[in-house]
Amino acid sequence: MADDVRTKPQQSANRIVNEPIPDATAGDGITGTGPLVYWRVFRTFVRNSLVRSMGFRANFWLECVSSVCWTIMNLVFFKIVFSYTDSIGRNTGWGENEFFVFLGTTWIITALIQTFVMPNAQEFSELIRTGHLDFALLKPIDTQFLISFPQMVWSNLANLFLGILLVGYAVLRLMADESNPLTLGFTQVGLYLFFILCGLVILYSVMIAMASTSIWLGRNQTLYTFWFYLTNFYRQPMEIYQQGMWGWTLWGFFTFVIPILLVVNVPARILAEPLRPGLDERTWSLAGLTLLVTLLMLGLSRWVFQAALTSYRSASS
Amino acid sequence: MVTRIAPPEKPWRLASPKTMPLIEIDQLSKHYQVYQKQEGLWASVRGLFHRQYRQITALDAISLQVERGEFVAFLGPNGAGKTTTLKILSGVIHPTSGTCRVMGHVPWQRANAYRRRFALVMGQKNQLWWDLPAQESFRLHQHIYQIPAEQFQATRDELVDLLGLAKLMRQPVRELSLGERMKMELTAALLHRPEILFLDEPTIGLDVVAQHNIQQFLKHYQEVRSITILLTSHYMKDIEALCQRVVIINEGRIQFDGSLAEIVGKFDQERIVSLRLADTTGIADLQQFGRVTRSQPPQVQLRIPRSQVTSALTEILNRYQVDDVSVSDPPLEEVFAHLFTQGREATDQGASAPKEDMAGSRRLTGEARH
Ligand SMILES: Nc1ncnc2c1ncn2[C@@H]1O[C@H](COP(=O)(O)OP(=O)(O)O)[C@@H](O)[C@H]1O
Ligand SMILES: [Mg+2]
Repeated sequence: MADDVRTKPQQSANRIVNEPIPDATAGDGITGTGPLVYWRVFRTFVRNSLVRSMGFRANFWLECVSSVCWTIMNLVFFKIVFSYTDSIGRNTGWGENEFFVFLGTTWIITALIQTFVMPNAQEFSELIRTGHLDFALLKPIDTQFLISFPQMVWSNLANLFLGILLVGYAVLRLMADESNPLTLGFTQVGLYLFFILCGLVILYSVMIAMASTSIWLGRNQTLYTFWFYLTNFYRQPMEIYQQGMWGWTLWGFFTFVIPILLVVNVPARILAEPLRPGLDERTWSLAGLTLLVTLLMLGLSRWVFQAALTSYRSASS
Repeated sequence: MVTRIAPPEKPWRLASPKTMPLIEIDQLSKHYQVYQKQEGLWASVRGLFHRQYRQITALDAISLQVERGEFVAFLGPNGAGKTTTLKILSGVIHPTSGTCRVMGHVPWQRANAYRRRFALVMGQKNQLWWDLPAQESFRLHQHIYQIPAEQFQATRDELVDLLGLAKLMRQPVRELSLGERMKMELTAALLHRPEILFLDEPTIGLDVVAQHNIQQFLKHYQEVRSITILLTSHYMKDIEALCQRVVIINEGRIQFDGSLAEIVGKFDQERIVSLRLADTTGIADLQQFGRVTRSQPPQVQLRIPRSQVTSALTEILNRYQVDDVSVSDPPLEEVFAHLFTQGREATDQGASAPKEDMAGSRRLTGEARH
């Protein structure tokens, strides 16, 4: 501050004057916002969030360690369960190794959501409360994109690697099974990855739609609570719901109304083939449903988001 | 400056009338429904089921036109509707009624083509990444606004140079002082070379030096780039330093729209005469020349109607032994305070007692139950 601005304008004045003045009516001649722009912005978000989390290194490692510990305890718990039983549900095919494919898939999806989606959903709600959403609305780029990706909590990604390890290990065990070995092709692995992506899109849509309601509610602090409820229900093979009136009611609700049961079940079924050999008809129809639901949920979340934005009041400053 | 020829591939541009105002606001209103909190436990429980709302009129059918290259100040007490106006102009919020066009766009449609051409800077909200050096936020802006690398560098260097920020580029934003942060915010906002700059209280909370620096920068930048700036403030210093045109807004209405000189001419009818007397005898008689506003012998301060200042001074210097004399204008603050109370009396038709404070002037226009 000591070097006063007062003297500076004179020095640099010429430089500005000689530059062309922006055209009176045209703007800068940029006509559209192409995919490349989105990619560059996304890359910047990745970069910035990495720099930021490295800035708090101790915190980063602490978070990694604590989430890995929690996940390993989760594994021990199911090890104990499988010391009492051979499979989850009768004739469902979810034996220990099949279930570990399921569990690993859950970890992968949860880790990705907690790294990329939850921090942003939470932040979005906060932007609304504080009125800082103003700045996102000013930018010549899709607002939903802009609020969906700026924050990434990289320490949550630790579980992704654990999930991949667990899935890999369980799949190898299944392939080595002598009585009923699993055979996998590239298409199957491709489908597995594709339906993980669908699952991520479904969860993203649910969370963004939930967060958007903050515009009407003023704030939505239940976001993480809601997320916790969701994880509680999608973490199990859907067969456990498929008995008794209450079970079927829950199954119907979480398959068709808030379709989170499809998120892990479909990719896990495709990879683990619980009813080997081959994929059963049921898996295929669930996969078809998932595809439909993914598109529908994405559309719905976008609609809720846009509707919410028109009611944005921008907290008074 | 540089003479420019309209590019031939877009001949319609030649036809666009130069007289069309850059910003056109017509009968713009904004009401807010706010939830009325009730006192006491029982009332709050009842409030869970049916809430009581009241309506705040933030803007009451304002109309305004701004031409390209103008530097306009919105002036008014807290709650007058200044920020609301800027938020509507930048498309952040929708108005309740009325129309508005800025460079041919309806702001709240939020077209990318429009959003590339203006910037909004708010003194009370910052947009830079808190934990990172401002440079990282600048880079993000570069990608979002698709600024070519060369242009980005040139613009950034020039702004950094003008604002004296070079040494601070590597420091996380959270470690900057308020004034430095504001300069960074300005830099970020100007990177894409907006044609219109909306500034909401850019000098709020800054010390005098920082305020002055920012004023100087804005003045210089606006002159050189001939961009259009709308600035809101309740610091008179900002306006004195910067603007040719002042729009005074109070309780959601435009009370005055004209030059600063006009306001002073219209409302500022008195001069302040300060005297230091060598001999204090007869000091009480000074009353006959005007209103005595301060009397701490040997110092006296008088308010004298502008037309009588010369004659009164001659008379005083004749009669008294004066060591020192000075004549000054009343502070602008006072002129505006006077103006605001006048405006209020006009709208209230003298229903309520005159209020001293300039703050908290929200007006209730009705109550609705839900
Ligand atoms: N988001 C909001 N919700 C409810 N009332 C608001 C909101 N924003 C502004 N107001 C009200 O509208 C009026 C005008 O506010 P504002 O435009 O911020 O005033 P100024 O910027 O002139 O101080 C104030 O009475 C304020 O309380
Ligand atoms: Mg304001």
